[in-house]
Amino acid sequence: MNEAIRMQLSAYVDGELPQNEAELLLRRMSQDVELRQEVAEYLAIGRVMRGEAGVAGVDRIHDRVLAEIDHRIDVDSAAGVVEPPARAIKPLLGVAVAATVALVAIFGLQQTTSVDRVEPQEAVTTVVDAVPDYSPEQDQLRQYLLSHGETSSQLGANGINSRLVTLRFSSEVVVEPDDADDTDETAAQP
Amino acid sequence: MTINRLHVTGRLMFVIGSLASAAPLVADIEPSDWLNRMAAAVQSTSYEGTVIRTKDGAVEVLRVVHTVQDGVVREKVVAQEGSGIEIIRIGNEVHNILPDRKSVLVEQWDDQSTLFSTLPSSKVRFGSEYDLAIVRKERVAGREAILLAIRPHDGYRYGHRIWLDKVTSFPLQTQLIEDGTAIEEVKFAEITISEEIHASALAPSYSTENFTWLTQTTGHSAAEIETSWTSSELPAGFRAVSTHEEQMQGSDAMVTHILYSDGLANVSVFITARTGKMFAGAARVGGSNSYSIEIDEHEITAIGEVPAMTVEHIATTMRRR
Repeated sequence: MNEAIRMQLSAYVDGELPQNEAELLLRRMSQDVELRQEVAEYLAIGRVMRGEAGVAGVDRIHDRVLAEIDHRIDVDSAAGVVEPPARAIKPLLGVAVAATVALVAIFGLQQTTSVDRVEPQEAVTTVVDAVPDYSPEQDQLRQYLLSHGETSSQLGANGINSRLVTLRFSSEVVVEPDDADDTDETAAQP
Repeated sequence: MTINRLHVTGRLMFVIGSLASAAPLVADIEPSDWLNRMAAAVQSTSYEGTVIRTKDGAVEVLRVVHTVQDGVVREKVVAQEGSGIEIIRIGNEVHNILPDRKSVLVEQWDDQSTLFSTLPSSKVRFGSEYDLAIVRKERVAGREAILLAIRPHDGYRYGHRIWLDKVTSFPLQTQLIEDGTAIEEVKFAEITISEEIHASALAPSYSTENFTWLTQTTGHSAAEIETSWTSSELPAGFRAVSTHEEQMQGSDAMVTHILYSDGLANVSVFITARTGKMFAGAARVGGSNSYSIEIDEHEITAIGEVPAMTVEHIATTMRRR
């Protein structure tokens, strides 16, 4: 597999391949068994064969693919429509190229359903007043998060995330009514 | 006619020549060079604008003013909604103004990171655990931008998309990517990049005369140590970059803190003798995940801006050598 196809495939996984290029890639893969096998090896088997760790997350993707395919088949059956690609995918799931097909399927689904922007939620809230997922009892975890943020920031990482999270957690921890009267903690106003 | 034809031909040649010379400008720049340019731009660019930050489906709007003069960073970040938190930084001193609490929290930031230096540098070993590619040109905040994609090779880390201003290489938009979907986003809705930002733009929006001023004491003390604890099966590319022993606020117990990094993603592992306070299992805030488990009468917590499976994997493989 040449570098161009590898990069194209990588972009496809992330939903970054333009629609026309994605269609060409899929068409090529659907017609070229050898390429599908090469892709499967590249994505998963190749790493294992080289003695590297397995490709994490593939099982999760595979499960999602099956669920999505089942869903699509249900929808197609209800509508009385059978799309050729779905029909082609189903029988192949049990054979040796299962990994390829599963990944191709999820790529296809991601290509059509993934978003370039964060998906809007039904209820949009502001983070400012949002209560973190941690309950007040989870102080230990909160302190660990603070410490992680500080240490990571020293590496120049996660500036905005750690700063804002840290600040909000800090404001909960430090600026309590009792603290406000504590002269030891009160700095001289400039 | 001849003159006109020559004139038109000349203009055409000029246009073609311009296109021919302009086209390679972007194409000839390697993706890693764009990152280096970005790193320099983040350190040196003065700007003001409105940032939209999206996380877990929640949207936050921030007004940001940032200047760099004589190497000193001055920055003001104001939350446009909610309680209106305001962060003002002059050099290493940071004033966090909490108007709803009528308080100012004073902090010292020792590091050089700014609010937007969230992004990778050339230290990341691209080609080993991540691929780096120029995807396409797009417009962000009314400016032409180059979209860079950082794609992990496995599910142990997130991907990133970065839209860099074509002229200045400043990051106009960033996304944290999990399974092809953005889970966090920071994006300029509008931005002015200029050296001519008035000092008044950096002044507090509130009169803090009657506010309570608090100094943020260091939450914990820390000292470098060596430890016998290590992960028996770290995900590829991760390595320990620091090991400290820390004392958390309000606790006498000492905690061993190991920071693992692949150059882009960071995971902290905290190890302490059993306290009974541990929140066992998985937790999540935005792109940060944690996983806690008890091993060998010690409480182990892994936490970081990585997928849930990564912190679980690292926490559950911690062993004493």
